[in-house]
Amino acid sequence: MRAKEIAPKVYEIDILNASDEELKEINESMGLALSLEEMKKLQKFFISLGRNPTDIEIHAIAQGWSEHCSYKSSKPVLRKYIFGIPSKHALIVMQDDAGVVEFNDEYAYVFKIESHNHPSAVEPYGGAATGVGGIIRDILNMGAKPIALVDPLFFGPPDYPYENLNPGIKHPLYLMQGVIAGIRDYGNRVGIPTIAGITYFHEDFVNNILVNAGCLGIVRKDKIVRSVVSKAGLKFVLMGGRTGRDGIHGVNFASKILTEKSEEERQAVQLGNPIIKEPLIHAILEANDAGIIKGMKDLGGGGLGSVIGEMCHAGGVGAEVHLDKVLLKERNMAPWEIWVSESQERMLLAIEEKDIEKIREICEKWDIEMSVIGQSVEGSYLDIYWYGEHIVHLPLEFVTAGVEYERPYKIKKIEKMQEIPKEPNYRNVLLSLLSSYNIGSKEWIIRQYDHEVQGRTVLKPLQGIINYETHGDAAIIKPLKDSWKGLAITTAANPQIGKIDAYKGALYTVDEAIRNLVAVGARPHSFSDGLNFGNPEREEIMGEFHESCRGLGDAARFLGIPYVSGNVSFYNEAFGRNIPPTPVLMAVGIIDDIRKAVSADFKKDGNSIYIVGETREEMGGSEYYKLIGAKSTLAPEVNLEELKGRMEEILKAMNKNLITSCHDISHGGLAVALAEMSIGGNIGVEIDLSSMGFMRADFKLFSESPTRWVCEVKRGKEEEFERIVKARRIGAVEGENLKVRDGNRWLFNIHTNILRGSWRNALRNYLG
Amino acid sequence: MRVAILQIEGTNCEEESYTAFKELGQEVEYLHLNLLKKGKRNLEDYDILFIPGGFSAGDYVRAGAIFAARLKAIAMRALKDFVDEGKIIIGVCNGFQVLIELGLLPAVDGISEKPEAALMTNDSNRFECRWTYLKKENESIFTRDVPNIISLPVAHAEGKFVTEKKTLERVIENKQIAFKYVKPDGSRADYPWNPNGSMEDIAALTNPEGNVLGIMPHPERAFFPYQHPDWNRKERERGDGFWIFKSMISK
Repeated sequence: MRAKEIAPKVYEIDILNASDEELKEINESMGLALSLEEMKKLQKFFISLGRNPTDIEIHAIAQGWSEHCSYKSSKPVLRKYIFGIPSKHALIVMQDDAGVVEFNDEYAYVFKIESHNHPSAVEPYGGAATGVGGIIRDILNMGAKPIALVDPLFFGPPDYPYENLNPGIKHPLYLMQGVIAGIRDYGNRVGIPTIAGITYFHEDFVNNILVNAGCLGIVRKDKIVRSVVSKAGLKFVLMGGRTGRDGIHGVNFASKILTEKSEEERQAVQLGNPIIKEPLIHAILEANDAGIIKGMKDLGGGGLGSVIGEMCHAGGVGAEVHLDKVLLKERNMAPWEIWVSESQERMLLAIEEKDIEKIREICEKWDIEMSVIGQSVEGSYLDIYWYGEHIVHLPLEFVTAGVEYERPYKIKKIEKMQEIPKEPNYRNVLLSLLSSYNIGSKEWIIRQYDHEVQGRTVLKPLQGIINYETHGDAAIIKPLKDSWKGLAITTAANPQIGKIDAYKGALYTVDEAIRNLVAVGARPHSFSDGLNFGNPEREEIMGEFHESCRGLGDAARFLGIPYVSGNVSFYNEAFGRNIPPTPVLMAVGIIDDIRKAVSADFKKDGNSIYIVGETREEMGGSEYYKLIGAKSTLAPEVNLEELKGRMEEILKAMNKNLITSCHDISHGGLAVALAEMSIGGNIGVEIDLSSMGFMRADFKLFSESPTRWVCEVKRGKEEEFERIVKARRIGAVEGENLKVRDGNRWLFNIHTNILRGSWRNALRNYLG
Repeated sequence: MRVAILQIEGTNCEEESYTAFKELGQEVEYLHLNLLKKGKRNLEDYDILFIPGGFSAGDYVRAGAIFAARLKAIAMRALKDFVDEGKIIIGVCNGFQVLIELGLLPAVDGISEKPEAALMTNDSNRFECRWTYLKKENESIFTRDVPNIISLPVAHAEGKFVTEKKTLERVIENKQIAFKYVKPDGSRADYPWNPNGSMEDIAALTNPEGNVLGIMPHPERAFFPYQHPDWNRKERERGDGFWIFKSMISK
């Protein structure tokens, strides 16, 4: 690479005369993660200008063009399936850093889920913590107060043999403990309750874990701030943490596959600091209340470069930046490092010159540092100065608009087959399922997150009698003191069904999100999608991506629920193995009166038990088949008409206060759902499966067919319930045991304490 | 009454606490430590000082230690006067830790120079967020309107009250124990009913004079009935934490 220093720590790179080999070398040695095609496009551009670029110019462009910033592989697919689902409630959709949806006349809620996979695989504690920090800023920069966090996590099995790990890959247990500690220490310190999530274990995630984090906030509609600078002369105020060398090239790192050398990229992982964030939240909200923020964006992936570029480009103005004004953590940083650094806890505000004193005052009160680093200008160019030297002069369009690819894709053919196992010992199967790590109690994790802080959590993640609680389907937040209206929040994903059939897996994921929200009495309202996939340069992975998006789109469009925000994480590949397609949904529902919320624990002796929805012999992806080692490619199939019908019926019955507990049927099937409800209520139930028709009892008990719920109905209200909901009565709450028969044949009879013991032991063996 | 809710970076239960006093019609305001430091506000202008929960200054050393050290440097004289005048100080969770670090609790022989007790790492060795049952042990201005057994949530990693045997004896003798963790029926607690392994199942303490309270569970998170996890099983007109706030402001 030929380079010459033209200003202190600024080099001009000879790209005009570079051969293909040299272009590759430039890409490699500067850590750009661009393809040769993209390097050539860059070269052509500078040939047309008739000059060589500076190093900072190349870095600025590479960052804008990274998969992470530009969505170059995903955008055409998203546009086709995910974007543009009509909704009269959605206010800001897929534009800024988070979606904004109407809550009531005066308020809106703001939310988004995104991934922090690669950093967490290399540095679990820091990676997960900054994942949380980043998503909080995405909510904050819309002017909203963050009030809830969620965290779907996917790891290899906790008992995975050490000797089977690939070089450089860390053990699932180590990763999980680090990730959970990172989320705990960040979320708890910053004072936002973590109220929902998933912890899922499978060998498919040994090489490449997934750490997704979602946040929801609330904002008065007239206080919503956009990530746009739409006039010249506004000052850029950079506030919060200082800029350092942590997180250099994070987005480029995220747009590569993981290898055994990934450890060397630890410096691409940013370092979070919740104790800067906590007062930063106060300061931002105070400045927003004062009405002085004209545009705002958080510094996440891509750092200053993408923030200033995107904000000004969106508003049709140019930008003038003085990098020597940026407050640094360490001396001797080169300007290109300052420009791309992803150091955490920083926000960029566009402020009128007359309001600079006011923002300075607010920052002083909260002990927050700030500096004015430039301003918006007429025109469409990005100009950067370094101690007076002009070191960047580029059209914003070229830097931020990036590239887009219609990547080739191949949809895989699915051969239908299903093994039929011998009839099992039902008691053993149920207890084994309850103590398996995907079904067993996640109490060890959930209790380490403060889910009560802010005092808004009116339906908890753990539900039931105190110290006997079971898993709830969704949590409910009551955002406003003077309104009974609540927001139900849940997350859903099912990688094993997606692995068989990406389309059906996506439908199932939507179905599960709906089930969870309906189970607590909330009307599904909007989604945020976290799309985790393998390497998009492989045709079959792009095929999965297409099929998943088609499924997500079909289901949501049919139901009239929009995707208002989201994130795509590609390149989840390591050692030649890709993760299964894993679209993760963060779903939000509205409950008009939180006093009508329904929890998952059985309530009272004598109440009737119903199953809602059809059970089918489709065992593909089920925990039961995994347990007994049977194979099936018959993935559960969602019927959207049924989903819509049952949803409306259950919500109607809940509104009439007929249902005292409700739980969706998912992992482990009906048997596990009943057991969990018994565990939480510390009360037994007697069940007869015969009304479910003619089918093997193990399929009745362990099938994971979609669109199903167990409802406990108030004694004496059965007829009214049956008039509203299409359901079958299968038993009643009674005694201390879970007793199940199919007609005359008893299948098992297990005391609630034994169920709870098995269920609680699932992770205890690994975590203490 | 005029209530100050003390803030520094990392305190994070101030809004719920503010709401509680506001609902009871009190004159309440946030008081950032920097305002005291710069002399823009004075402690003597308030009747109640509330130190909320959170992770003050990150709690990267012993919980509450940094907050207490800064408070000491800025306002120890004023704090002593505040206590001596019989005004009310309440520290919740991290606030309790701060009061111990300051020597305002247990203060068996008056305010101590050095901490006489500690809120140690939980026996489980991890942060735990769960609901507990508490039994009122002694009457004070913090408990006069509180029912015998109440339920409040804890959320902490360091809440195990420990002290020397002699100090503990004095604490008991002086009737300083405000609340103990119990089982739902009021009987002696074991884990998880006592969530941290606290000596004598101590959940909350007052000073001997009874005008300073430190409490690990969060009354401000149980101010309204629907904040309780069992609202669908048990009807309440008020959240259990309400009664602690009510007691403080009763004349």
